Amino acid sequence: MLAIGLEGSANKLGVGIMLHPDDGSSPQVLANVRHTYVSPPGEGFLPKDTARHHRAWVAKLVKKTLREARISVDDVDCICFTKGPGMGAPLQSVAIAARMLSLLWKKPLVGVNHCVGHIEMGRLITGATNPVVLYVSGGNTQVIAYSSQRYRIFGETLDIAVGNCLDRFARTLHISNDPAPGYNIEQLAKKGKQLVDLPYTVKGMDCSFSGILAAIDALAATYGINGPEKDEEVDSEKSVEEGGKPTRADLCFSLQETIFSMLVETTERAMAHVGSKEVLIVGGVGCNERLQEMMGIMAQDRGGSVHATDERFCIDNGIMIAQAGLLAYSTGFRTPLKESSCTQRFRTDDVYVKWRD
Amino acid sequence: MSAAVETLNLSHLPLPVHLALFQDVHNAPFLRQQLISGNSDFEYALIDASMILSRSHALSAVFRAVNDSLNGRLKSRNVHSEIVYSLGATNNIADSFRKFGITDSTKNLLVVKVSVTPDITHDSVAAHLTQSIEGLPAPFTDESLSGVSDISKIKKAYKLGALSVAAVDTTNGTHAQDRKLEQSVLGAIALRGAT
Amino acid sequence: MHPETYKPPALPSPFSTTTSPPSLITQGAEAHLYKTCFLAPDTPAALKIRPAKAYRHPILDRRLTRQRILQEARCLAKSLREGVNVPAVWALDWEGQGGESGNGGAWLLMEWIDGPVMRVVFERWEKFLKRNQGSLSEEDVAGEESRVRGLMERIGRAVGGLHKSGVVHGDLTTSNLILRPFVGGSEDATTGEGEGEGSPSMEGDVVLIDFGLAAQSAQPEDRAVDLYVLERAFGSTHPKTEPFFDSVLKGYEQSYKGANVTLKRLEDVRLRGRKKSMIG
Repeated sequence: MLAIGLEGSANKLGVGIMLHPDDGSSPQVLANVRHTYVSPPGEGFLPKDTARHHRAWVAKLVKKTLREARISVDDVDCICFTKGPGMGAPLQSVAIAARMLSLLWKKPLVGVNHCVGHIEMGRLITGATNPVVLYVSGGNTQVIAYSSQRYRIFGETLDIAVGNCLDRFARTLHISNDPAPGYNIEQLAKKGKQLVDLPYTVKGMDCSFSGILAAIDALAATYGINGPEKDEEVDSEKSVEEGGKPTRADLCFSLQETIFSMLVETTERAMAHVGSKEVLIVGGVGCNERLQEMMGIMAQDRGGSVHATDERFCIDNGIMIAQAGLLAYSTGFRTPLKESSCTQRFRTDDVYVKWRD
Repeated sequence: MSAAVETLNLSHLPLPVHLALFQDVHNAPFLRQQLISGNSDFEYALIDASMILSRSHALSAVFRAVNDSLNGRLKSRNVHSEIVYSLGATNNIADSFRKFGITDSTKNLLVVKVSVTPDITHDSVAAHLTQSIEGLPAPFTDESLSGVSDISKIKKAYKLGALSVAAVDTTNGTHAQDRKLEQSVLGAIALRGAT
Repeated sequence: MHPETYKPPALPSPFSTTTSPPSLITQGAEAHLYKTCFLAPDTPAALKIRPAKAYRHPILDRRLTRQRILQEARCLAKSLREGVNVPAVWALDWEGQGGESGNGGAWLLMEWIDGPVMRVVFERWEKFLKRNQGSLSEEDVAGEESRVRGLMERIGRAVGGLHKSGVVHGDLTTSNLILRPFVGGSEDATTGEGEGEGSPSMEGDVVLIDFGLAAQSAQPEDRAVDLYVLERAFGSTHPKTEPFFDSVLKGYEQSYKGANVTLKRLEDVRLRGRKKSMIG
């Protein structure tokens, strides 16, 4: 079986092709292409601009994907697309493209939950069989574990997503959004030395990030280090406690240390609760090596291990939609044309996971 | 009459502890004077037993003082003064001594000695107490303690006057109330100094 | 990873040198729980140790460890004074080993609570129902449901009692509630074992444990989040009991004046929590 997957729920447009060989051998990625809409420093991506980007690129990307995979349209069994959750306008532009392909090629549609796509791709790439999943991106922060045909959400953010917190702080500092604001924060954080005190808000397995964002934005403003970088910034001799001034790098470092500690803590709590020793990190923030490192130390202390993937699979892509779509397709799932709408709200635990025991 | 000294090894603590209870004590002013003058022969925790609810109450304070001593965290002169201090719920050492320590009018006295050096043994403590304390030895039991404890003063010392009792789980109301008071007192001892 | 190869971190003083070493019961997320004794071998006690977390920045780790062990002890002591069924605090060390430069190891010694955790009770109940799906009469099923509803109502009352005392738990799951058998109760109930086949006993006191994330608060918001966390724990861990969660809320409503304000707030918290999968 072979599926093409289309993803465009945020600022990444991804198209990919997955093959599930008939002999039951392991699934193969035949092509995985992506094009990202990058907004200028200090700005986020707006839905209408992002949708315009996706419309402009989707045909080109589909053609490129077919070429790279060296397959013809006849080989395709189904067209998988992101049904949600995500930003409305970009989701719609990609859903329209999927419907068009379905009519043009006379192939069935499979609507896929974006979060389930991340989980299934992560499971496939890492070989983690039944891990606790930390799903962290610009729009989602969830701690998930599988139980009786559902990916159940054990913990989640009570306000903004962790990636959104990082992205918005990148805007505060006017850090470049290319290739991604979180990536640039991570690089800057490596130069950070001192930890400034930030709120730490964990409630059970849930987290809250808006208070931390407000606190660090306020710190940046207090020390006059928000906005575009100024040339004269030098490391202060004194620590913050001694009346010194933190650097932009110190703030990035402190933000990461604090919010990642919260994520590792809630993940550990879920692991303890369900008795699992495996963790899988998916979603764009999952590329962050410091987060992976911290999670690894935690898992090791529990006698387990962490599974993470690199940017090809962590960041939104088309193959994850194809992979989850094919799993559903193989159990007989189809999305009729008249039900092929998309939805901004689509909970991970709304999906009936028929393909797992 | 010879003193009824009980020697205990409190769980987890490496040092044996010797305890003796006396009733109808006649020479409290003399004993108190020895403490004030710093007579090292009288390095004991001398506790007014009317301020003690139960064995666990006294032993919890001993546990805390010995553990703090082992970790180099004594706030007072030695582990024996620390025991009296540990009975209190505040950081005020003088206040703890006023409330829980021996006074000139103390009639019921609990004496505690920790084997801080190997020459302090059950026999050495018993011998010294027999010769120094003018009072009636009593066994260090919950029963003899409850006979002398002044509940309202104890409640006041721990600010537990308004202690409420859930009506539901009391098959034996008085017993449950006593236990809750005792458990609350242990909590206060453990939490003393937490900022 | 095999359990026999797992070595928990070294115990802090004074438990490092004790002659009857505490036995590890669970490795929770934040802390290791040991069974040991207090003052005398015949007084069972729960020892909670918060080892340093190597993944966390040491400054943050010390701050959190100290803050939490103290907060936990304070909340336990406060709710105990107010008559809530919680373990009594017996001894405490918030400094940890070696003070500022040490590797953590703050600990809290508490009363040992006998009995199974609710997770186990509900799991047994769900298994019992599953196993006897065909053979139970409608009447039997109704009886089982009313028993479970009764227990859930008592859980609601216990949570309400806690909130009334000015404390919120912060981590209400079915693993943090113990069903303590009544003294002199049936053998099954006392040991919590030997119930492989039948429906589990639901008699006893509901005791709240693990105050690792508790806080002193009387805010409807914090109280509502407590209930929301518990509701989700039921939903994710015991799907079969989820339809009866209204019994928890019923017990809660009856437990203190002002409970209805919290229940109203719970509706907001649910909506807020559930819409949070908006952006991919």
